[in-house]
Amino acid sequence: MEIFYSILPDLIRMVVCAVCGAAIVFGNALVMGYAERKLAGHIMLRPGPMEVGFHGVYQLVVDGLKLMGKQLVVPKNADRPLFMLAPLLAFAPVFVPLLVIPFSDKIQGFDLDIGLLVILALASINLLAILIGGWSSNNKYSLFGAFRAVSQNVAYEIPMLLSLLSIIFMTNTFSLKGVVAAQSPVWFIVIQPLAFLIYLVAIVAETNRAPFDLPEAESELTAGFHTEYAGMSFSLFVLGEYANMFIVCSVATVFFLGGSSGIPLPYFEYSGIIWFLLKVYLLMFFLIWIRWTYPRTRFDQLMNFCWKYLIPFSLVNLIITVVMVKLL
Amino acid sequence: MDINQVKKQWQTLSTTIEDIDYAVSGHDYNICLERDKVRDFATLMLEEGFYLVDLMAVHVTPAIEVVYQFAHFETRCRVLARAFVDDNSEIATIADIYQGANWHEREARDLHGVVFVDHPYLFPLILAEEDVDLKPLLKKEGTLKDIDAVRRKPPEPAPEPKTKVKPEGAEAKPEAAKSQEQS
Amino acid sequence: MAMDVETLEDSRHHRYVLNMGPQHPSTHGVLRILLELEGEYAMELLPVLGYGHRCHEKIAEHKPVKSFMPNTARMDYLGALIYNHGYAHLLEKAAGVEVPERAEYIRVITSELNRIQSHLLWYGAYLLDLGAFTPIMYAFDDREHILDILEDVTGSRLTYCYFRVGGVSKDIDDKFVTSTRAFIKRLRSRFPMYEDLVNGNIILQKRLNDVGELTPQLCARYGVTGPLLRGTGVDYDMRRAEPYSIYPQFDFEIPTETKGDCMASFLVRFREMEQSLRIIEQALDGLPEGPVMAAKVPKKLKIPAGDYNASVEAPRGELSYYLVSDGSDVPYRLKVRTPSYSNLSVVPEMCQGMLLSDVVSAMGALDLVIPEIDR
Repeated sequence: MEIFYSILPDLIRMVVCAVCGAAIVFGNALVMGYAERKLAGHIMLRPGPMEVGFHGVYQLVVDGLKLMGKQLVVPKNADRPLFMLAPLLAFAPVFVPLLVIPFSDKIQGFDLDIGLLVILALASINLLAILIGGWSSNNKYSLFGAFRAVSQNVAYEIPMLLSLLSIIFMTNTFSLKGVVAAQSPVWFIVIQPLAFLIYLVAIVAETNRAPFDLPEAESELTAGFHTEYAGMSFSLFVLGEYANMFIVCSVATVFFLGGSSGIPLPYFEYSGIIWFLLKVYLLMFFLIWIRWTYPRTRFDQLMNFCWKYLIPFSLVNLIITVVMVKLL
Repeated sequence: MDINQVKKQWQTLSTTIEDIDYAVSGHDYNICLERDKVRDFATLMLEEGFYLVDLMAVHVTPAIEVVYQFAHFETRCRVLARAFVDDNSEIATIADIYQGANWHEREARDLHGVVFVDHPYLFPLILAEEDVDLKPLLKKEGTLKDIDAVRRKPPEPAPEPKTKVKPEGAEAKPEAAKSQEQS
Repeated sequence: MAMDVETLEDSRHHRYVLNMGPQHPSTHGVLRILLELEGEYAMELLPVLGYGHRCHEKIAEHKPVKSFMPNTARMDYLGALIYNHGYAHLLEKAAGVEVPERAEYIRVITSELNRIQSHLLWYGAYLLDLGAFTPIMYAFDDREHILDILEDVTGSRLTYCYFRVGGVSKDIDDKFVTSTRAFIKRLRSRFPMYEDLVNGNIILQKRLNDVGELTPQLCARYGVTGPLLRGTGVDYDMRRAEPYSIYPQFDFEIPTETKGDCMASFLVRFREMEQSLRIIEQALDGLPEGPVMAAKVPKKLKIPAGDYNASVEAPRGELSYYLVSDGSDVPYRLKVRTPSYSNLSVVPEMCQGMLLSDVVSAMGALDLVIPEIDR
């Protein structure tokens, strides 16, 4: 009993964090789902969802209900356990990175010393889910999508890491709170513009969104790795994708855009979350914008771009940073 | 492309070459070929820069007639070449000379049952595999006509609608020309 | 990016077959293509046709020539008026019917509007194939205006049956003329936007340049015509090569490019839209008064025995009708040479050794209309 009381505060904290994480994941999916469809509509000269509620705000709720009511179809000769596991694997790990993100000075699950590593490690599990889903579907298009996803994500993780690493060299900490604190006079986007650009390109590829949406390139692979998924198992992939977008954009905000810093508001240690979310959703808007503007690249061009341009540039950037840090 | 030169070469291959009126028929030359000259003719046409417009079969008596249409990219020269298939409905393929003929020949095989000898892949194109012997465009007894019935008649007895309609067309013409002057 | 076929010849056992279609987003209809893949490189392609065959040639042999007109529109749902035009042209030639000049003008105007409409849809659908979702909506926005204009005069929006033997079914009115002029102005103002997307977008350029190259010789062997052929530098257009209707009266260019790749046919189609606008403008300026239907076209149109051919320039290439008549009012044999059929047959040679993504963009450049192939 003694032990129980001693860990009770942590336990409560955990429960609260889990509930908040779930709220963020689902809330974000609702907001992004609606925003994406509405923005896509307006970019395409059409109004987007209009029927359910004021300007279709309840459309996503209705769609969610519909997806939940759908039958889960497992294709013939598919690897059933793996097929069912993949969407869960895509969806479950996204809660953990949310715990270490400092939404404001006080709103943060746990301030780990290895915060960045936790995020990057868990973000890679999503890739595993895509691979399992594509493999177990017993469909060549799915398999293709999975192959593409693996090679693309492995390649683009390198420039993403290298660009973040140059920030780490400047701050000497993996803790996200520490990184935010290091940006108090000036944000790192000013000092490291190249790293920011590289990171931005890399996250488009990392989240499998157009123009780098080759794993689900619909005109080539019908729907890529989730061709065979229906109903809730499909929507778990989508939830995972939006949550991943949220996480990578949060990391961009923490590392380049000063986290929750901004014009001070009352109770700033809490209300900083407003600035934080504003920056995150600005980046997400950017991702939506380019998705509905550009055509898709070809696979070899995508890989060439990574290995021939992004990685050398991020390496050069890293070396210059290290030299500068040493000299100054 | 020198058309007289080409004509001379045609003469070595074909039985008859007929100059026909483009304004009426839409062709410049009508060529009847022996069936064993088809491949030589196609080779010649390819060398002269003609492209294959179409290839098809027409079911008449005495035998199914395979009709080749060629045209030229640079000068207007529309050539109609025809050859009869033999008793086994066989004729040599030109799919290795004009690769575009591949599908046309497969289609003719589906619709008329013409077998193109040495065709690289004479597999049903339009019909399902099990309906290979359907031959849907073969004429039934009674509707099958002789080749002479579908050949153009000599122009002396002018065809009926032509004489009937022409005066109206002639009347309409000056009126239209007038309005063009106004505009 | 193409891979050398020979280098992979000995690794045949690595290959596997991917079945693309009959229901696949980028085959634009019920076309099926069997791809033998080596990694992502397509080493062999085998198109499988016939899923939506409607036996138009058989139908033609069972009804009077004049009543086949609606069927022509169903062959190519994007170039229906041009298919009408070709067939009317064939019968008028065969039966010796003179068409009033006003009717010819109306035919040219509506046909060219139809051509622009087809190219606009191709533009949207092609970029959709390349993964850009938005342009199709912009193209449809413009296309909608054409459909509205044509609906007013023809009564339908897609499968028109407007032309008759000897003229057109209904005269155009002032509203048609003013709205067409307004549309010309509108589309001209939109071209820079469309152009910017092509010339200014590096992704699109990288996807289209050097992909699916054709040569005039290859086109001759396969019978490839239309914008694809003009992309290789041959200025072969039925409107100029074998002038029909009143096209010789108009001043227009035949756009050509030299490279023969996807980008070339892309640009050719674009400039064709501009030329079509020019033709429409000239036709509207010179529109004569008069009847739109030849007087006394016989109800039972008997075609004199013999064979007849009429070729017109459809949006996708040369369209030929070949009619064998036995002297009655029912054709003995009617063969339709559709451009997409010959254009698609080049795919196995053109796409050999290509990446899967390039196969998609090369096939999109063919501007396939499957009902035209499965006619």
